Amino acid sequence: MGDIKNRAKKKKLPGNLYDKRLRYNYETREYGTIPPDTSREQFRWVSEVAYKNVHRIVARGYDTTELVEAGYGFADMLFIDFQARIPLIEEVKMLNYILILGLEDGLSSTAAMARIAAKSNVFLTQGAGASILAFGHAYGAYSAFGNMMDKYYSLVENKSKSIEEAAELLAEENMGEPHLGVSNLMLKDPVAKCIFTRAEKLGVSRKYIPFMKKVVVAAQKMSEEPVELDLLGAIGSAMMDLGFTPGATWSIMAITRAYAAGAHWIEEIEREGYVKLGETLTPREDYDGPPERTVPSLEQRLKAAKPYKSETLEEWKQKRDEMKKLYGSGHTIEEEIEDARKIGSSKKSDKKEK
Amino acid sequence: MSREPLFRRKTAISYKTREKTVLRGYNISELAEKGYSFCAALFVLFQGRIPTEAEEKMLEYEMGEFLEHSMSPSAASAVAVISGRPYLPAAIAASVMTFGGAHGPGAAHGYMMNKYIERALKEGKSIDEMAKICVDEYLDAGRPVMGMGQPQHTDGDPRAEPTHIKQEELKVGGAYLKFQRAVEKYFYARRKAEGRKYVAVNMIGAGNTALADLGFSPNAAWCVGTLTRGYSCAAHALYTMKKGRAWAASKSEPMVQMLDLSMIKYIGPEEREVPPQEQRQEYAKRQLEEGEYKKWVI
Repeated sequence: MGDIKNRAKKKKLPGNLYDKRLRYNYETREYGTIPPDTSREQFRWVSEVAYKNVHRIVARGYDTTELVEAGYGFADMLFIDFQARIPLIEEVKMLNYILILGLEDGLSSTAAMARIAAKSNVFLTQGAGASILAFGHAYGAYSAFGNMMDKYYSLVENKSKSIEEAAELLAEENMGEPHLGVSNLMLKDPVAKCIFTRAEKLGVSRKYIPFMKKVVVAAQKMSEEPVELDLLGAIGSAMMDLGFTPGATWSIMAITRAYAAGAHWIEEIEREGYVKLGETLTPREDYDGPPERTVPSLEQRLKAAKPYKSETLEEWKQKRDEMKKLYGSGHTIEEEIEDARKIGSSKKSDKKEK
Repeated sequence: MSREPLFRRKTAISYKTREKTVLRGYNISELAEKGYSFCAALFVLFQGRIPTEAEEKMLEYEMGEFLEHSMSPSAASAVAVISGRPYLPAAIAASVMTFGGAHGPGAAHGYMMNKYIERALKEGKSIDEMAKICVDEYLDAGRPVMGMGQPQHTDGDPRAEPTHIKQEELKVGGAYLKFQRAVEKYFYARRKAEGRKYVAVNMIGAGNTALADLGFSPNAAWCVGTLTRGYSCAAHALYTMKKGRAWAASKSEPMVQMLDLSMIKYIGPEEREVPPQEQRQEYAKRQLEEGEYKKWVI
């Protein structure tokens, strides 16, 4: 216990801890914790967003109590927290408009997550949190959408492409992706287009909405089926024209949706009740995995069990292909999870975020 | 692409077709087009009704002031989670899920108020009388009174009293505000009589009271409060993601990081040798018999 120290030599260490390939001597490793580092400034919660003391809460330099007493409201606070500025009245109107449209989406995955959590008898906050987790790069893909828009619009800003060319390239390279913002989801519901109309009427259509309109035209030309601006594309563009970054938009829309998910959490308990461990059955007719088989005895295991390891590349491929036939093994999923350690680093070299 | 429901439920909240989304009977697009605020839409969502202007203003005030609270457990969660660089929603969800029985226990406060106000009705007592009973019952049982005390704002939360006053100014104070005010009165009086230090109303006591008087059920109010805070936690997570160091342990930063090894203080059992397998059974039996381990069980 206490700070770092050495102790008397102990008995022989177990296992492989004398293996010569180990990088240091495991027998003489120190015990104890690292003493406080007094050579550097002690840890504090560093923030550009807000601070508080005993009598005051300050967000981006504004006292929050003074803000609300002065008549600023909820939507103003979103601009202050995420953008460090007081918004125009038209921007607040536009944000309220968007938030209402983002509030409810029926029995979609966000509501389902909250309802499923509710059935286990957890706090409402767990249900609401679960619904936020449903926002990814397909459902509610605001981050992926926004980063895509920034990537292609930068071609216009650095004058390497015209707005039409950039829109066509975007559509070509992202056609069919769930974050494109153009799909067949809103062919009959005019709400997405209404968002653009509203933004134009309020004078808050800046660069992303005009660009997205070009993307829609380009996508419609390339698509074999009818496609139209969808809610993701409309809200994503409008939020970015209000100055919200892709990450901020993703956050704000996920939380906004979670209010309604909270109502779904409540309704699930009120109307459907809880479920116990083991209560839910899965019908046999829904099962299409390996046929039923006898579990080998531990003695039989020596013969029956085959290791997965491969000695050759061909064997590796063969075994992997075999595993791909088993849904739930994960071998068919290909994803690239970026090493994100450098995102936000003071020595930034890579600011990529999907 | 299947547009079939993920699962089927009767629901009184909303329906969604290819043409429109309808929330509690109102076309959601129409709500937005007619100029309602998001706060007004929350009344429609949770209460199925359009609020009065004063109610809408009160919720704007409440959500505006509750949104940011700098470093609280929820913001700390968001910052800690994003240090591993998962997708952003994981950090936001963690922050919202941090709200429980101690941090922002809005539902619990709402249920307490409902319970005692209902008792007043059943027992033929006034709200004022029942508030005293509530305070006495909690303090006699050695329990903290919900809505009172905040570990950081030790002189009283700067938002709390202004919230009460705003409720009165907008004339949206009802039975809940009467009850809460009375709880505070008897709470202060009893602590004073016992020679104990002043403990002020917190934002659950003030804000949740307002939400209750606005018609939000305990859990609906909790949902409104915790998710409103979620926005600022998202801002803290985003700031940390974009301008802070992943892992929060780098030795090359000028400030000691949150997860620097020197931040660990260990107060558990003394270091001990791992018993070899041949001694394991005897060793384990002895530990069980001696029972010293029990003081470490959590």
